[in-house]
Amino acid sequence: MGDQLEFIQLEVMVVALGLLVLLADLFLSESARRSLGYLAAGSLGLVFLLSFRGGYTSLVDGEAFGGIYRLDGLALFFKRFFLLTAIFVLVFAVDFASRLRSGVSEYLAFILFALSGMMFAGSANDFSLLFVAIELITVTFYILVSFQRHRMQSLEAGVKYLILGAVSSAFLVYGIALVFGEAGSLKFDAIRDAHARLLQNKVFLFGMLFVFAGLAFKISAFPFQIWAPDVYQGAPTPTTTFLAVGSKAAGFVLLIRLFGSVVPELTEQWTGMLIVVAALTILYGNLCALPQRNLKRLLAYSGIANAGYLLMGIVAQSDNGTAAILYYLVGYLFTLVAAFMIINLVTREGEGEDISCLAGLNKRSPFLAVALTLCAVSLAGIPPLAGFFGKFLLVKSVAAEAFGNTGYFALLAVAVFGVVVSIYYYFGIIRTIYWSKDTLDNSPVAIAWPTRMVLGLCVAAILYLGILPDKPINWANAATKIETK
Amino acid sequence: MNTAAWLILLLPLFSAVVIGLGAFRSRKASAVISIGAVTGSFLLTLLLVAFGGELHPSVTWLAIGGLQIDIGLQIDQLSKLMLCVVTGVGSLIHIFSLGYMKEDRDFSRYFAFLSLFIFSMLGIVLADNFVMMFIFWELVGVSSYLLIGFWFEKPSAADAAKKAFLTNRVGDFGFLLGILMVWAALGSVGFADLAKSVSGGTATITGLAGFLIFCGAMGKSAQAPLHVWLPDAMEGPTPVSALIHAATMVAAGVYMLCRVFFLIDGTWAMEAIAWIGGLTSLMAALMAVQQDDIKRILAYSTLSQLGYMVMAVGLGSPDAAMFHLTTHASFKALLFLGAGSVIVALHHEQDIWKMGGLRDRMPKTYWTFLIGTMALCGVPLFSGFFSKEAILDVALENNILLFFVAVFVALLTTFYMTRLFVVAFMGEPRSVHAEQAKESPAVMTVPLLVLAVPSVLAGYFYAHAPNPLVLAASLVVVVFGMLVANTLYSGAKADPLPAKLGLLAKALRQRFWFDEIYQWLIDQVQENLAKLADAIDRWVIAGLLVRGTHGTTELAARVLRLAQTGNLQTYAFWFAAGMAALLVFTLS
Repeated sequence: MGDQLEFIQLEVMVVALGLLVLLADLFLSESARRSLGYLAAGSLGLVFLLSFRGGYTSLVDGEAFGGIYRLDGLALFFKRFFLLTAIFVLVFAVDFASRLRSGVSEYLAFILFALSGMMFAGSANDFSLLFVAIELITVTFYILVSFQRHRMQSLEAGVKYLILGAVSSAFLVYGIALVFGEAGSLKFDAIRDAHARLLQNKVFLFGMLFVFAGLAFKISAFPFQIWAPDVYQGAPTPTTTFLAVGSKAAGFVLLIRLFGSVVPELTEQWTGMLIVVAALTILYGNLCALPQRNLKRLLAYSGIANAGYLLMGIVAQSDNGTAAILYYLVGYLFTLVAAFMIINLVTREGEGEDISCLAGLNKRSPFLAVALTLCAVSLAGIPPLAGFFGKFLLVKSVAAEAFGNTGYFALLAVAVFGVVVSIYYYFGIIRTIYWSKDTLDNSPVAIAWPTRMVLGLCVAAILYLGILPDKPINWANAATKIETK
Repeated sequence: MNTAAWLILLLPLFSAVVIGLGAFRSRKASAVISIGAVTGSFLLTLLLVAFGGELHPSVTWLAIGGLQIDIGLQIDQLSKLMLCVVTGVGSLIHIFSLGYMKEDRDFSRYFAFLSLFIFSMLGIVLADNFVMMFIFWELVGVSSYLLIGFWFEKPSAADAAKKAFLTNRVGDFGFLLGILMVWAALGSVGFADLAKSVSGGTATITGLAGFLIFCGAMGKSAQAPLHVWLPDAMEGPTPVSALIHAATMVAAGVYMLCRVFFLIDGTWAMEAIAWIGGLTSLMAALMAVQQDDIKRILAYSTLSQLGYMVMAVGLGSPDAAMFHLTTHASFKALLFLGAGSVIVALHHEQDIWKMGGLRDRMPKTYWTFLIGTMALCGVPLFSGFFSKEAILDVALENNILLFFVAVFVALLTTFYMTRLFVVAFMGEPRSVHAEQAKESPAVMTVPLLVLAVPSVLAGYFYAHAPNPLVLAASLVVVVFGMLVANTLYSGAKADPLPAKLGLLAKALRQRFWFDEIYQWLIDQVQENLAKLADAIDRWVIAGLLVRGTHGTTELAARVLRLAQTGNLQTYAFWFAAGMAALLVFTLS
């Protein structure tokens, strides 16, 4: 048992940190509680560093708890990804604390618990752990979304997420039950061996499709995207960030593991369906974003569109496709964190997040204006930024497989069309920042130094990933070598 | 050493970015960062010159599949010389700018642009392949646009900036075509690879490719018929004129020709280059004779000297061209800065007929300007003498017609420079401002004094045995030019030439109506083309394609939005419907 615990040491630390935060709340004064978020972020930073320790990385490609839990390159990559996301979100949460009114420490603790769920999801090698991890994430998010109890919008978003989340969980658990019935095991390894003979088994296919639907809900892919705009808009902005980046990435790590390495032959059989889902997701997200004036809602639709782009990596069914997903997600992490942080800084409590609040930002804070412009340009996929290179890799991975399959070409055409459409609304943001005449407010924006640091880091990362993509591509490639026994 | 080479290039970029992002508000910080960056580059250059041999550091920018793009720096004799010129003159001009731009509102923006320019220029100098050179080539175009139009609220400055940019684009278009032709012919764009394949003797490029590459130089180095932008570019701040339009950017064309000399050598393009250079130099010298604006005289003189350098390349002697480029950079920067000092002292008066008598009022400017003038005229023992000798020598050996042109240009040069000098500095003050002029502060005069040193001495670093015929010819024209100009202008209140020359003087004054002819051409050809393009754009592209697509997309967006009712029951219904659709799609 002792060496089993060694595998989940990072998760244990995160959960322990969450409990400590809750405990500390009892003893700390009001003013000291403010910096609790920074303290937690710092501790997570330490956990992040510990993940590079030789003692931990030597465990890679090992399994624990009877093969339920698997630690490989992919899992490690995503654990670090989630840790980084959570660090940024915690710093963000401190900025946001005054708008929460009460229970700031609980808010921080729930972020940590959700984080532990995501980290478990990265290692799930069994449907039971998959389900538990997903539920751990989803249930904590019910609370995180509705945390601003004094705001109707937040409560409404919470209820919508709760009910639709419950529906998707029902799909998921139902699907798992069917798969278990036919394959006779919940273990991924067993299903991998069994699935070749089950490819014509309707019940098994039924089950896998329900599982896919449950995961598609997490990544907000068509036709399970409908919750995203309302929930993104209503939720407290740090929650939205965490939802858009962390929760989506958790969905993707499971999709990669399940459809990339556990049931590859089924994935091949379903290529047509995946292409349609990806294409419709891209179209839906981009088209709906066009007339959007609310910034958070705009980013929600853009998030749907991005889920579609990311699905292209699954569609490609190759190591290059998987590596492209990882690369794209990392760029997306930095871009979205920066974008949401800036939107939060610029808007005030009670005001809507209407796009017009960005007017005159270049005068209020040139730094924020430049940073948000970079985010928009990167999301629009224009070189030389992270978003461009991620999209380039995704498109390339699909194009590499495209010979002999016209569906792939159709998907590429849709992706290009989506990018063109998206340029219109992303540049609407830039136009408002620099050329909008109706400036309501000319006061400079105050930025706390940790926030400034995070923003600076994000901008640097967006530039780095776009200009010097060589090393990060190698990391992504290294992480995708999933060992299949 | 490799790090030093990279730093030379990147320091100015760093400065431009930092000033642009943060320190924009602090004038002092911007100036310190910018000057620090360029002098840092200068010191590193000296280090390279003293200790580094030939270097060729290179990194792969990106490699995806078969496509590999490198960024490399080529550090050899040629680029080291140019580095010295750019960073050395650049440093002095940065410092001079402290004084010149002291009262400007956008002091920080000025230094940010200046740093950006130095970065771009160094990129051209260090580039080891055509693609990289072209990128920086364009960057130089952009930063020069920003600097010429620095006082963009003045319509003439904004127009001049546009003119410079557009004229350069015409040349760059040819340059790009040339690069593509070289690439197609030899399969490479790296200078080292190209040199290897050319020296093998099997591969050559066509004269057309060579000429197209020269088109790039024609734009940047302002050779006829693309010379029209340079005189107008004087609308920028005077230190900018000194830096960009005398010492560095306009020299980029000549530098590029020297860099790829091995490619164009032996093609018919050489002949064309020599003649275009010679004629530009003649035409510009003629025009300079009848200008009254101190900066414009210097601008035409720059054109004329650039023509000399281009001619030297065309006649097969890049060495002579680079030599003249180096000496010219120092004395012409000196003259421009001297002019800047005068302009500031006279509250931005630039008409030489409103100056006069500055000799006693601004002694330091007077003496340094005198040195610059002597160097430009080619008075023996000054740097310009040696470099002009070298070019005349080459001309005598290769093309006797061009030799006579060059000697005549030398005569004209002495004439107009003496005219400028006598009218502006000698005699009695001809305006209130001139009467009240005071010497400029040390921050401006010290760079003048420093630049005066190479203006005198730079000629001694080039071993060269003078040809007696050339020597005699150049001595005669110097003495003759000075005497004539002095007789005509000493004590003159107005220019006596127009009365004597009549229509010819008017032609010179109007710069041979180049601008008017271009204007007419543009009106006739471009306006009509533009009208046609506008009609197509308005009706076919904007009307049918864009509005059609936009309308359909927008409509689709609005319809899709209807699904987003906000009603939870509806959402749950969509969920179930979606699931059902997926099931039908995959299982049927």
